[in-house]
Amino acid sequence: MGRFLLKRLGLATITLFLLTVIVFFGSQVLPGDVARRILGPFADQRAVDALNHQLGTDRPLLTQYWDWVSHFFRGDLGTSLSYHAPVSDLVGNALVHSLKLAAFAFVLVVPLAVLGGVVAALKRDRPTDRIITLGGLSLTVVPEFVTGIMLILIFGLWLDVLPVSANAPDGSSVLTQMRYLVLPALTLVILLFGYIARITRAGTIEALDADYTRTAVLKGLPRRTVIFRHVLRNSLLPTIAVVATQTGYLIGGLVVIETLFNYPGMGRLIFTAANQKDFPLLASAVLIVGIGFLLATLLADIAYSLLNPRIRYAAAE
Amino acid sequence: MDETQRRVDEIRQESSELENHIIDQFIDGKITRRDFVRRGSVIGMSIPLLSFIAAACGGNNETTGTTGGGTATGEVSSGGNVRVALIQPATAPNPVIVKDEGGAGLIGSTGEFLSFSNAKLELEPRLAESWSPNDDGTAWTFKIRQGVKYHSGAALKADDVKTVFDTLSDPKNSSNALSALGGVLSPGNTEVVDDATVVFHLDGPNGNFPTLVSSANYNAIIIPSNLDPADWGKTFDGTGPFKLEKFTPKVGATFVRFDGYWGEKANPDRMEIKLYDDEAPMVNAIKGNEVDFVEHFSVSGGKALLDDPSVTVIAIRTATHRQLHMRTDKDPFTDKRVRQAIALSMDRNALVDGLWEGKADIGNDSPFAPVYPSTDTSVAQREQNLDQAKQLLADAGQSNLTVELNTWNGFEIPDLAQLVKQYASQIGVTINLKITDAGTYYGDAVFGKSPWLDSVMGITDYGHRPVPNVYLSSVYTSKGTWNAAHFKNPQADQLISEYIGALDLDSQRVAAKKLQELLLDETPVVIPYFYNFLSAAVPKLKNAVSAATGQFDLSRAGFTS
Repeated sequence: MGRFLLKRLGLATITLFLLTVIVFFGSQVLPGDVARRILGPFADQRAVDALNHQLGTDRPLLTQYWDWVSHFFRGDLGTSLSYHAPVSDLVGNALVHSLKLAAFAFVLVVPLAVLGGVVAALKRDRPTDRIITLGGLSLTVVPEFVTGIMLILIFGLWLDVLPVSANAPDGSSVLTQMRYLVLPALTLVILLFGYIARITRAGTIEALDADYTRTAVLKGLPRRTVIFRHVLRNSLLPTIAVVATQTGYLIGGLVVIETLFNYPGMGRLIFTAANQKDFPLLASAVLIVGIGFLLATLLADIAYSLLNPRIRYAAAE
Repeated sequence: MDETQRRVDEIRQESSELENHIIDQFIDGKITRRDFVRRGSVIGMSIPLLSFIAAACGGNNETTGTTGGGTATGEVSSGGNVRVALIQPATAPNPVIVKDEGGAGLIGSTGEFLSFSNAKLELEPRLAESWSPNDDGTAWTFKIRQGVKYHSGAALKADDVKTVFDTLSDPKNSSNALSALGGVLSPGNTEVVDDATVVFHLDGPNGNFPTLVSSANYNAIIIPSNLDPADWGKTFDGTGPFKLEKFTPKVGATFVRFDGYWGEKANPDRMEIKLYDDEAPMVNAIKGNEVDFVEHFSVSGGKALLDDPSVTVIAIRTATHRQLHMRTDKDPFTDKRVRQAIALSMDRNALVDGLWEGKADIGNDSPFAPVYPSTDTSVAQREQNLDQAKQLLADAGQSNLTVELNTWNGFEIPDLAQLVKQYASQIGVTINLKITDAGTYYGDAVFGKSPWLDSVMGITDYGHRPVPNVYLSSVYTSKGTWNAAHFKNPQADQLISEYIGALDLDSQRVAAKKLQELLLDETPVVIPYFYNFLSAAVPKLKNAVSAATGQFDLSRAGFTS
């Protein structure tokens, strides 16, 4: 296991390095320059040049890149070019918000979708299966801004039982914060339920049809024991992988939902930073999301190996 | 002689020649009461004084001042927390470089100006108590209010005013304020006579100068001269009735009543500003009772508010408009008949109704919006006339024209572009649309490096200005830096110079009329409408004031029980 983890960490480091290169050089393709974005389209060119010089954005690209990377790994994320504030403050605040929403959504959607998938598999080809499968798929294909607006209309405006924005006032209790997160979290549940449930269903069906399951049944084990001890630990393997890959999206990809619910998360931050060509903010935020994604996949791999000894032994070899 | 008349005579004896001229214009019926108050406030007469003279000389007792662009006035509860929805600013709150409504709203929450330009285009004294021009309008003397303290405790000094305007007028700082001050006030020409007096020595005569240094120039808040504007966002130090409690970039800010304010203390205990990236969540927030005041919303984004009886909509007539420019130096628009044809193809009433639900004034292809007192409303309004348009094209020997129209994908501009294309097709002109993002369209904003300034045809957005000076000097003069139509007309240059230098309304109107007629004839630019600035408030919020420049004043606001 130790060798396995070291190998994964090594690969993760290389991935992160490549990510920084892609983000940095990719942002240079965007039209306009940083000072022009800050001062506006009518700014005097002399002032634009002076600000670019002050910000260091007129230096060679490799120099800028190395400067940023070397500071980053010393913990200095730099200063936002647009907001003139420490990147660590901006990213830290946004990350906390994103993690809260992601965690709340996960806690709701994962058990619900896994249960739905398992039930659908156990009731394969029966009405229950059809309802869960088709219903989930139908909800998944609806764009999240449509779902979000519907939820706001119904629960926020017509029934007036939930807040229409997601950011609770400062100093709010945990329960109040959760109340503010209900609608965006529900939006995510509706979006992700169908996908995760279908993967779980497929994995469960495969496990139900496997020889080891037949053996367990023929041994006379109670159905409950067969499902929980033999079927689930194998059927959840693909589900774990799917859930892990959604982490990056949940932490850094919720631009539409964060905008709709006015929630100051990483998605909006990254989008704004890209628009403003605010490289220190953009790169740091993307890198943080990348680290989160890699950690999630690493945890998924560990869970995989714990659930499936064959993977554990192969890794040890 | 009764007491009122005696008092009026006293006032007139103490007034300048210019002030007496305006009083004479009002008495002779040459200007309306509204125009009298507006123009009088610009040249430095106080609004209460103007109201008194107006009442004494035959006007009604209608009050003016801050009720023009706000919620209903009335008795309100003392205290409370007013929650405001404001669009996200693009930059840090640096008064020098702020360039959008979000930034203007933030810095105006604690900062104050020499005067406040209200929704009626009247100037209300703030840090300047009064102002007056010299004989030819080349120098304006401002009397600075004494005994004013900043939130930090420091005293307001005349030097602070000088520092602010030297900074804003310096091209190397590239402030958005240069759009108003460029060519009007040069750095170093703000003189401190004593701690109560500042004199602005202008580059040329300018009858509207006080407006250019009022809240209409949203960068022009007065801050301590020893405070770097780049660091201002750490403290929001100003002289306003609210002071900063907490600011979180990209989230919002809270402000509390400043007990050391020089004027009437703010009624609300707190003002909370929430920042939004988009309009839809702002609309939801006021409908969901999460905010009490939305600083600005558009017709297209805020349809749900327009017909909602649980929301009070504040609509202010403005000079905000779109310009459809046509290069006068490039085919096919070198011939003014072709430009006139394009202008005649457009159904302006339909544009106002369709794009703005009637909440706009029809434009007449000059920047003289109907809301300006100097606009001559006797100039004939251009109407759609397809037959005349086709005839003009035939006379010009142009048929089956194809033109590319450049613009960007903001506001209702793409819809307007589509409609322009459709109207032009009715007279045989094919317009190909090239719609990009704002950054691409504006480019470097200099000739040769900007589709906005280089394209043969384009649509550009212009925000509200309480006076048309900036539009005229930047867009229509031969050397104008925003002259996308490349319009070079010595007569226009002369008339613009006359208009800007005119100190009295009569002279402004004379120059305006000639300019309006010239621009209608030459048509380098089509201006189809001037749309309203819309704000929204919950019905129980009273005394909330909005100004079309993105400023708002909630110091007297409060809730009815």
